Amino acid sequence: MQWVAQGFLFVRGHTVVHRLDPRVRLLMSLALFSVALLSHSIEELLVIILIVLTIVSIARIIKRFAKAMIFTAVIALIAFALNLFFYPSSPHQAVVFGMRLFAVISSTSLFFLTSTPDELEHVMKWLHLPLDFVMVFVIAVRFVPVLLMDALQIMDAQRSRGLEFDKGNIFQRMRNVIPIMVPLIAVALNRSLDLAEAMDSRAYGATKKPTSLYHLTLKGSDYGMLAILLFGAAIGLYTTFYVKIF
Amino acid sequence: MQVTREIESYDTIVGFENVDYSHPNGTVALKNVSFKVEKGELLAILGSNGAGKTTLVRHINGLLKATHGTVKVFGEDAKLSTTAKLSRKVGIVFQNPNNQLFEQSVKKEIQFALRNFGFSENLVEERVNWALNTFSLSEYTERAPMELSGGEKKRLCIALVLAWDPDIFILDEPTVGQDSEQKENLVNIIRQLLSQKKTVILVTHDIEFVWPLQPRVLIMSNGEIIGDGKCQDVLSNETLMTNGSVLPPQLVEFSRLMRWSLPFPVNTSEARNLIEKTKLEQ
Repeated sequence: MQWVAQGFLFVRGHTVVHRLDPRVRLLMSLALFSVALLSHSIEELLVIILIVLTIVSIARIIKRFAKAMIFTAVIALIAFALNLFFYPSSPHQAVVFGMRLFAVISSTSLFFLTSTPDELEHVMKWLHLPLDFVMVFVIAVRFVPVLLMDALQIMDAQRSRGLEFDKGNIFQRMRNVIPIMVPLIAVALNRSLDLAEAMDSRAYGATKKPTSLYHLTLKGSDYGMLAILLFGAAIGLYTTFYVKIF
Repeated sequence: MQVTREIESYDTIVGFENVDYSHPNGTVALKNVSFKVEKGELLAILGSNGAGKTTLVRHINGLLKATHGTVKVFGEDAKLSTTAKLSRKVGIVFQNPNNQLFEQSVKKEIQFALRNFGFSENLVEERVNWALNTFSLSEYTERAPMELSGGEKKRLCIALVLAWDPDIFILDEPTVGQDSEQKENLVNIIRQLLSQKKTVILVTHDIEFVWPLQPRVLIMSNGEIIGDGKCQDVLSNETLMTNGSVLPPQLVEFSRLMRWSLPFPVNTSEARNLIEKTKLEQ
């Protein structure tokens, strides 16, 4: 569990991918996402997954990617199995469905695994989304790993009181979740109240247009990556709709 | 400088032998840790943040398993046992009470662990009443634990661990959020436990709380034990305290100013007596 939780903790990287403008990284994820969503062949989806894995290895986040994707892989397998079960006449379709699910989620994760919550905030502000919405979203993203670590600490505390999570029948196991969920919600609520007070005391909302110290600017490498992206996405979409390469 | 300590082996209940521990992210938290704890002993583990104090005690009830080396609790290898089994003998009071409390009432909160450990209903009732009375929580029996104040929650957490009567009692930062009266109560509880031959392990930054208790002291720094010995020897050792980033107790500082020799006074009344004695001698 702790192994998986660490996949969601942001680690600041210093690779070519991390140095790209967050907007370019977002576009990269979106391009892969869109092509994956529209693809209908196993080969095309395989190419997209390979591109994602290549970017992951360049960004040196293989371990974190594996941790974050472990549940996605399980869900993709379940989707494959369900499709195979309900539509036994089309196993090809079941494979495509499972692979598409994995490709879509992994391409989206690329952006979140290589961006800091601050960068996320800058991109959302650049998109002129409402300030309160941006703040709520960024705080939620920032607190996911914190809550996961809280959950691990609570599990440790309850295990020390003789609670065995993996014992008993299904109902007993479901009941065993209560000693984790109740303190976790209470801790989260307390933390949110503390945070709200801390933000109020630092004049959050005092002005409708707060200034920002940082501004996003595109560099040469960003323009280069944008060109590659547009070219790649165009080829991807063209082959999906007009030419059957595979 | 390492302050060595002679260990009698016949009553050893916790034994660490060359224990290393690395977190799943690769951070080394414990390096070659070896020490023993005897029955009825009071041990204080001191050190700066991130020194490895909490990681160390989590090995005693099996929450963490050593990467290398052996941790033995009552002669049993902690790696081969479960946390539930070890916790029956090793009670840990965690630093943050909010991570533990979830029941609808104080009474049910205390009953929770007792039922997990399979106590009979009669014994559950008896132990709950004992814990409520001992920790002055009787008036809150039916109150929701979440509604209690920070100090009361901490008291409840200590009560609910003591209720199942573990042989080893570990307190992780017990004085955080406690006023002086509650600290005094805690001292009394620790003394009472020691008189019952229970083993108490304190993990703390509160050096002023530790000094009057005069426990055996273990100083940790960067996952290593850099000092282990009698309270007077360790806490008066300037080099050791500097290396462990621990400030000496005020009475130690005062005793040094007065150029007294060891043993230093452990409380203000002893210091006053010593001052009177020095005056008379002059």
